[in-house]
Amino acid sequence: MGILHSGIVNSLPDARIRAICEKETLLIRAARALLPKTINFYKDHVRMVQKEELDAVFITTPIITHVPLVVDLARADRDVSLFVEKPLAGSYEQAQMACDAVRSSRGVHMVGFQKRFSHVFQKAKQFIESGSLGNLMFFRAYSFSSDVLREGASWRFRRAGGGVLLDLAPHLLDILVWFFGDPVVLAATKRRLYSREVDDYVHAILSFETGLKGHMDACWSIPSFRLPEISIEVHGKNAMLVVTDDFVKIKSNKDGGTRSGGSQMYLKQSFDTCVPFLLADPEFTREDETFLSAVHKRTMTDPNFFNAAKVNDVIDRIENSASS
Amino acid sequence: MRSLLIGDNAFIGVSHLSQSTAREKVEKLDAGAIVEVIEKAISFGASGFTFSTHPMNLQILKALQDARTIKAGFGLYPVLPYAEGYVRITNEKGGIGLVREVLSRLTLSGKVKAVAKAGISAMKLDPVSLLRTYVDMELESYLSAKPENTHLGAVLLHEVVTDLGASFRTGRLFESFMQHVHDSYGVRPGFVTRNFVRFVKFFQDEGFSLKDVAIMTPFNRIGFQMNPSRESCEACLQHLSDGNVLAMSILAGGYLPLNEAVEYLRGIPNLEGIAVGVSSKRHAEQTFTSLRTLLES
Repeated sequence: MGILHSGIVNSLPDARIRAICEKETLLIRAARALLPKTINFYKDHVRMVQKEELDAVFITTPIITHVPLVVDLARADRDVSLFVEKPLAGSYEQAQMACDAVRSSRGVHMVGFQKRFSHVFQKAKQFIESGSLGNLMFFRAYSFSSDVLREGASWRFRRAGGGVLLDLAPHLLDILVWFFGDPVVLAATKRRLYSREVDDYVHAILSFETGLKGHMDACWSIPSFRLPEISIEVHGKNAMLVVTDDFVKIKSNKDGGTRSGGSQMYLKQSFDTCVPFLLADPEFTREDETFLSAVHKRTMTDPNFFNAAKVNDVIDRIENSASS
Repeated sequence: MRSLLIGDNAFIGVSHLSQSTAREKVEKLDAGAIVEVIEKAISFGASGFTFSTHPMNLQILKALQDARTIKAGFGLYPVLPYAEGYVRITNEKGGIGLVREVLSRLTLSGKVKAVAKAGISAMKLDPVSLLRTYVDMELESYLSAKPENTHLGAVLLHEVVTDLGASFRTGRLFESFMQHVHDSYGVRPGFVTRNFVRFVKFFQDEGFSLKDVAIMTPFNRIGFQMNPSRESCEACLQHLSDGNVLAMSILAGGYLPLNEAVEYLRGIPNLEGIAVGVSSKRHAEQTFTSLRTLLES
């Protein structure tokens, strides 16, 4: 993720990568040989912010290191803005520490929930908030990928990495919280498929304040999912909505849902897909543009640490429910 | 316009319309069925095949060795690396694990004796020479499976590498890649990019000649993946008189009807060719019949 964000940021107007902090000597050697000589390399993050005049730092390290880095950096430079890859922390308690660390900061802060910058998810949120689905009855949702088809060796597969719940599920949970508010976790279960220390599958039943109930599955061990995919299907009394990374579709329940013209489909191509620089999906560029604009204007942005901490809260409650 | 290339997206489960559709389609296609689709496309005017270094494409090349419909001059346009494969390794082993894995593969391939002798940790990293070796390693199995009658049309760098390189202005790496492809394979180097305008500017700023490379980049009526905008990409193309741009994503990932895509391309000057994915024999016939009218116009 560090390569992705640095590639995008370095191409945006008025933004340049000034320094990189990396502990692995081999990676520093490779990067130093490849990248412009104007970029300085450090092994110590505090030293980096003290030596360089940085407007913002992107933290794209293993999840368990996010909060210690946030605390150190906010203490070392009260003006520096911080972007942290999702999720904000390894636990809700840690997430609160990150929030405390930036409370008196003059910089802005943001967490990499880039799905919020996808036009299809934004359109789905508009539909839901417009009330056109009618009273919301239930939902079913999943986040699947084929990332883990054997025991892995990286930090993701160590106990502190948190498994599929902390690694893959946060995007889906963030979107659910963004759409419907804070959920109550009614029940959850999990299981290991390939990994010895972490779970590869998790299932949770959630209930929201509006009365909406439903379930979510997250699994990173499904071979047919070449790319990670999120899908949320929401059934209301008037209509049902399906949103995935590729499209949002709304289908009216009138006339048993068979009336022609009763469904609307918006593919991602229906929207303006152009961005100043594309290096993955356009939402990554929009996310980085939003963050840098907030840094420039010194205005609060979203998803900031305080909102992102809610996802850690839900993750902890799912974990506790599945473990009990 | 000179060339019509078959793209490999449908064969390896890539769809910009719906991932679920792509999963269903790819389940129905094995290498044998894909060869039938390619043969149909050839009989309706396809002049080449562009593919990433995905394992499925190696199977396809091997299956194509028995195909009788391949006419002399049919071009192969490999795109490397297959980026998702390396993302998977990074997920499994981390960033440092990826570097070690690539170095280890290079060692095992017998192409980097120095690595084996000195050991990875002690090795002085020289990305330029490693890139050359990496290109050789990545291409080796595909070239050894090259069907008779086919020729290498170009060797292209994947868009992630191209666009990252353009972002960080790693001119030395690009220069090395171009030189190596030209000297070792006797063909044009190529670049896939989804940031056409920026790529062209970077190339010109570095003093590289655009004349001697192939550029594969999206061109479609709705501006899908044309960055920073459709208009700026069209204007940029208009100023390139070298005719070495291959249009891809002409259907905007399956969003546009074929006739609309063809009508749009009719108004786009300076294209060398078009790369388009097809997922069935019927689809191949319709697509290449329509596109051939562009060649003949």
